Amino acid sequence: MESRLKLKKSDYIKTSLRSYFLQNGFNYNSYQGTGYAYSIYPALKKIYKGKPKELKEALLGNIEFYNTSPHMVPFISSLQLAMLDNGEDVKDARGMKLALMGPMAGIGDSISQFGLAPLFSTIAASLAIDGLIAGPILFLVAMIGIILAIKLTMGLLGYKLGTKVIDVLSQKISIISEAANIIGVTVISGLAVSFVKADIALKYTTTLDSGEEQVVALQTIFDQILPRLLPALVTIGVYYLIKKHNWSTYKLIGLLLSLGIILSALGVLS
Amino acid sequence: MDISMFQALLIGVITAICFSGMLLGIYTNRVIVLSFFVGLVLGDVKTGLAMGAIGELAFMGFGVGAGGTVPPNPMGPGVVGTIMAITLKSSGMTVETALALSYPFAVLFQLATTAIYTVFSGTPASAKKALEQGKYVKFKLLTNSTFIGFLVVGFAVGFISSVSMGALEAFVEAFPVWLLDGLTVAGKLLPAIGFAMIMTVMAKKEHIPYVLLGYALVAYLELPVMGVAIIAAVFALIVYFRADQESATFRNDDESEVTTDGI
Repeated sequence: MESRLKLKKSDYIKTSLRSYFLQNGFNYNSYQGTGYAYSIYPALKKIYKGKPKELKEALLGNIEFYNTSPHMVPFISSLQLAMLDNGEDVKDARGMKLALMGPMAGIGDSISQFGLAPLFSTIAASLAIDGLIAGPILFLVAMIGIILAIKLTMGLLGYKLGTKVIDVLSQKISIISEAANIIGVTVISGLAVSFVKADIALKYTTTLDSGEEQVVALQTIFDQILPRLLPALVTIGVYYLIKKHNWSTYKLIGLLLSLGIILSALGVLS
Repeated sequence: MDISMFQALLIGVITAICFSGMLLGIYTNRVIVLSFFVGLVLGDVKTGLAMGAIGELAFMGFGVGAGGTVPPNPMGPGVVGTIMAITLKSSGMTVETALALSYPFAVLFQLATTAIYTVFSGTPASAKKALEQGKYVKFKLLTNSTFIGFLVVGFAVGFISSVSMGALEAFVEAFPVWLLDGLTVAGKLLPAIGFAMIMTVMAKKEHIPYVLLGYALVAYLELPVMGVAIIAAVFALIVYFRADQESATFRNDDESEVTTDGI
């Protein structure tokens, strides 16, 4: 039975690595469509060896619209190839591919965009601010290494197991991503108040009982009540504008640029 | 300082590779990476790192929003911002001012990216035709068209930014002092957008305690990032083990559930 199969484990690994090409043809029409077909092309060539007509049809069937996480896609391509190699219906394989597009995009995004990238980005930035070149190097090595591991794990998982794993996987992932979220929120909240800076330049003069004049900086008073209050307020304000009023990035950039320039010119902030 | 033709070409090549790495999903098109390499080429790693750190945090939240949003591109601060921060350092350019000045470029580069995606919208149709005619080499070329487009645009961004620094220097020098001061203040406020952006997707109502925790750890205890991360990990692990246990109990054991209810 084994000998009937045309794809070996190495073919699945190769296809998983070819997922790096998934977005090489990215466009606003089919998104990752052509890239997907390109990444499974060598494997399809093996499955349909000596059947040029079927190969052509398989490729044509796979350049349709596709948009998922480039890190999780090996799971999908491995499953699809395993189904095709086992002689299952092309339509079923296509249905599975389309069904997994959304869930895999969700899982992939929560791992990479909301988990790994902010985590290593903040660590790397805090190293770089101290003048350590370890910052950018650690960022690249960690991101590239972990994503390679995710790609290979997903590719082998799709090859070994069936569609049933996705339920278990997404259940476990939701707990893990919640835990990662907690770390992310705490760290980002702390970073926000250390990297957003707003110092009040206003000062006022009081006359002491002794007749001496004393200059009191407003910022010093604020710092005694709630340190870094202004940066926190600015961040909360921007958060509110995004969340409640759907402000675009460009509007926000415009707002903060003009706020900065006006308040600095008026001598409120320094 | 002046940028030699060789340095300009090198920056062009590095930008091309880093920018197209965005398609490969290898996280090279980030401010911290671009700034470091530009700093390395221009012989000022220190400023490159400083620019990379502030730019990375400011741009961290961009691109995590709902699909279809077009975030400013990291090449703005990463390439143009870093070049400004290094070459105009002697005339008083700070990394904050460079960050503020680089936003328009970040927007411009993003428009270029959108333009590439739009221009190559015709490739699926051509790819289909190539397949139908059995032209597999042409098909392969078409599936990599966006990548090639990114390489070309990335090189142009890096190279042109490097050779036109003289013009930019004159432009910046024409700025009055109050405006440059204002841009510095604005540069310190701008990272708020990135942080707020990422918070809108990560933080839900039940995360408010962790927002307060992060604030207190930094504002009052002045802990470094790793310290904050470790304390946060304590809470994350508690939540993780509790959720794991709950789902395990939920799955197999009815009796234990009854007992718990009894208490």
